[in-house]
Amino acid sequence: MIYVYVLATIAAVVIVERTRSRRVKLAILAALALTLAIVPFVDRTDATFNVLADAGVFVMLALGLNIVVGYAGLLDLGYAAFFAIGAYAYGILASPQFGVHLPFWAILFIAAACAGLAGIVLGAPTLRLHGDYLAIVTLGFGEIVPQVFQNTQAVGGPNGIAALDVPSALGHSFGTAAVPYYFVTLGGIALVAWVARNLGRSRLGRAWMAIREDELAAKHMGIDTTRTKLAAFAIGASFSGLGGVIFAAKLGLVSPDLFQFQVSVLILSMLVLGGMGSLIGVVVGSLVLSLLNSALLPNINAVIASTLHVNVDLTNYHFLIYGVILVAIMLFRPEGFLPNRERRAELHAAAITETSS
Amino acid sequence: MHEFLAQLVNGISVGAIYALIALGYTMVYGIVELINFAHGDVYTFGSFVALTVLTALGVSGEVHGIALVIDVCLAILAAAVVCGVLGIAIERFAYRRLRNAPRLAPLITAIGVSFILENVMQLWQGPAQVSFPAVFANPSLALGPIAVTVKQLVVVLLAVGAMLALQYIVHNTRLGMAMRATAQDRDAASLVGIDVNRAIALAFLLGGALAGLAGFVSGVYYQSAWFFNGFSAGLKAFTAAVLGGIGNIAGAMLGGFLIGIIESFATWKLGGQWSNVTVFAILVIVLVVRPSGLLGTKPIVKV
Amino acid sequence: MAGCSSSNTTSAKTITIGIDLALSGGDASVGQSTLNGMLLAIEEANAKGLPGGWKLVPQQLDDAVQGVHNPEQGVANARTFISDPSVLAMLGPYNSNVAAAQIPVTNAAGLAQVSQSTVSDELTIGDAAKSLRRQNPTANNFFRVCTTVSRQGTALAQFATRQLHLRTAYIVDDNETYGLDLANAFERDFGADGGTVLGHDHLAKNTQDFKALLTKIAAAKPALVFYGGVTSTGGGLIRKQMFDTGLGSTPFLGGDGIPDIATVAGKDADGSYYTIAAPDAAHAASARTFIASYEARFKSPVGAYSANAYAAAQVVIAAIEKALATDASTMPTRAQVLANVAATDGLQTPIGSIGFDANGDVKEPVLSLYGFKNGQPVFISQLNLTK
Repeated sequence: MIYVYVLATIAAVVIVERTRSRRVKLAILAALALTLAIVPFVDRTDATFNVLADAGVFVMLALGLNIVVGYAGLLDLGYAAFFAIGAYAYGILASPQFGVHLPFWAILFIAAACAGLAGIVLGAPTLRLHGDYLAIVTLGFGEIVPQVFQNTQAVGGPNGIAALDVPSALGHSFGTAAVPYYFVTLGGIALVAWVARNLGRSRLGRAWMAIREDELAAKHMGIDTTRTKLAAFAIGASFSGLGGVIFAAKLGLVSPDLFQFQVSVLILSMLVLGGMGSLIGVVVGSLVLSLLNSALLPNINAVIASTLHVNVDLTNYHFLIYGVILVAIMLFRPEGFLPNRERRAELHAAAITETSS
Repeated sequence: MHEFLAQLVNGISVGAIYALIALGYTMVYGIVELINFAHGDVYTFGSFVALTVLTALGVSGEVHGIALVIDVCLAILAAAVVCGVLGIAIERFAYRRLRNAPRLAPLITAIGVSFILENVMQLWQGPAQVSFPAVFANPSLALGPIAVTVKQLVVVLLAVGAMLALQYIVHNTRLGMAMRATAQDRDAASLVGIDVNRAIALAFLLGGALAGLAGFVSGVYYQSAWFFNGFSAGLKAFTAAVLGGIGNIAGAMLGGFLIGIIESFATWKLGGQWSNVTVFAILVIVLVVRPSGLLGTKPIVKV
Repeated sequence: MAGCSSSNTTSAKTITIGIDLALSGGDASVGQSTLNGMLLAIEEANAKGLPGGWKLVPQQLDDAVQGVHNPEQGVANARTFISDPSVLAMLGPYNSNVAAAQIPVTNAAGLAQVSQSTVSDELTIGDAAKSLRRQNPTANNFFRVCTTVSRQGTALAQFATRQLHLRTAYIVDDNETYGLDLANAFERDFGADGGTVLGHDHLAKNTQDFKALLTKIAAAKPALVFYGGVTSTGGGLIRKQMFDTGLGSTPFLGGDGIPDIATVAGKDADGSYYTIAAPDAAHAASARTFIASYEARFKSPVGAYSANAYAAAQVVIAAIEKALATDASTMPTRAQVLANVAATDGLQTPIGSIGFDANGDVKEPVLSLYGFKNGQPVFISQLNLTK
């Protein structure tokens, strides 16, 4: 069923992207929201909504990274560091280990602020750097942050912090079911997507795009590139702080091995696969890769047995399959599933100048 | 003082391996501006090729005299050739079609190829660490106050030899010059009649061959190989290339040795768990002070 | 589909055993051989036949994402098992932090979970374990066939001081949950037993080069090197590189994570010591049969936790068989299987006789100590840990 839900959602957002009529768009979005809200009351399979809630966190993370990489063009290979900061904020502020038990909803704001601040602190020294040098410095931060958590016994070292508080809403505890988290991530995605969309169209958003296209020209046009870049780092990081809190609360645990380099790469792949800079593309890319990673690949034997009626053991081939899928998609759609319109135009322009030069 | 020198030797030995891998990153980046994430796995592939050849030659322990020379040369040759060809194949299959695509597209195929190679090696050699024959007798030699093992000497000599050979190829052969010209301006190079595809393939060939040599060297040095080794070795080597100034061949060597030495001293003074943190922290500081790396030239901003 | 995949392909009389392990990427080195141990036990049980013609079906899910074991995926897998009514019990996981994330969920669902290798004390003992079981505090559903790190730490510290008569140690761990906890337990007890700890270092992740660390250790001139960790995170390579750094004749001690150290270190494993949570006699006889059938079936050497995994699967299979023996006409309930697992006593396995205490740990634990000669394990002595 889970594949049906995700495919239907993807179909709906693609239609929204393609239609021009504002009224039709709103109607489809409303119908989608309503359906997503009703489904858990019809389908009672907890595992399905668990996968969807996990995917939802990744959609939020990808939307955050999209601001940094997609909008402002700053290649960030250490984004998981901010995710870790958000998650550890929940671990420290809502666990028996530290005896602090702040409510989940308050920590959401605190963690977003902490992660945003970390974005500024880590972003500031990198402002002079260009292109891949920036990428490698962010990669460095991405390696340093989880390693510091791992080496710090006060936050549990490699064991991390376990038995975190279970959030509650309106006096009801979330319990161990996945559905409440599913609703929280739906809300989170809606909020983050709305903010990202409005930012993209604002003065700040246009400044980001100007920097992405040509930093020197942007500077000469009077854009304060320092502040603009820092804003991208801070806002992108705060989104992942939010995601980190939901993630930690749902899991009831934080530990350093959850935030390795591979996670940064995974989120970046979601962006590139979906289409950088395009909100809808990013949502689609992150849904597809999450589903592939957390539902299809771990289950691949059973899925093949039930669809093709052959019994094969592909447990040893997960990496191979994942790698082949990444390569194949990129070779056939290098601009991603749903690239944003300006980007597509640029690609064509680039192709023209290249042939004419 | 004695321990200081011993740690310096440790650092130079492991740094030699990083340097060999870093050369591949830097050449490929210099010519196509691509972070070839699969390169670390090409290095591991080299270990396994060398191991296969040594096993086929019946080597399971120390070898002496002329047999040693023959066995080692065959293993190195096989590892270098296979990995060089593998490098070309990866470029042809996963990167060439994307040369004019958005910049991050080949980055993702590189990650994909890396996963594929890791899985193939896991299926080929098993998921556990594999023992590698101790080819060299390994007494400790005293060079003045410094104690060096034969293995360390071999590692460093092979690496330095390969780097000198590379310098010669890049600066004194026609193909090498074609490669440098392509790296500087691909369009102009193609206008003056340079076969750009061949020049790019050469960068992948040389990078792959050096990674293959590094694979042999690390197999002999650590007497083990593991399908997942390439991941973190690749990350460190890439860091080394950036530290030295990416695109700069001497910089990659310098960066490799520096990273090895920093790692050894961090382990010694701060503890093993801080070695990676120290490496990356120094990298960040160096880049903030010198944004184009130690030996890199300032990138030309086109207006 | 994630939830109902196996039930629609298998015929009516099948019972699924869920298996959650890290099976891809860097963790595959231990994951695959652990999985094989479980699969072997299930295959053998099916070949022997269960009451009423029932068949056992293993459903293995990988908890590694992008090549790293991942508690989030571990929970997702546990929920997949819970949502599938044909799953009556669960085996795994490999890592303690994956278990810490899974226990609240499997506990709420009343699904029996038997692990082969998660040794962190906090999973079963004390307030920490209670807070993991808070949804259903009266029913413990998590069991393990391995010994806790504190028991192993005590045994190894006493062996070092009382039998080997070594008074100074340098401790290294792999900075993973198992390794760090074991090293800390050893450090505490070695000091308590009159030994002096000269230093305690942690390894960096995914590295092959331990020479800098070993040079530093050699300068401290310890009488022994203690290693908290498993072979694949550095145990085998450290032992091998000790010979390059002048520590070749220094004894090397570790827990039950390094019995397969000789696959990497070869004859250099001589001078190393490790523990197994079983009496040697039982271990030697039933382990020999196990090792022979394992190697015949999978054409590869037994891994560090293959025998433990086989024993964990035996526990679950015995519990299911016991339920079927009373009534083979319908599928047993999860509650029946859980009750039978909890009541396990005197079950003969390759790692000795297994029974559980109220926490879910092995009763009357016995540890056997082994050394190496020519790269082959040699039994040294047995320690009874009931005090």
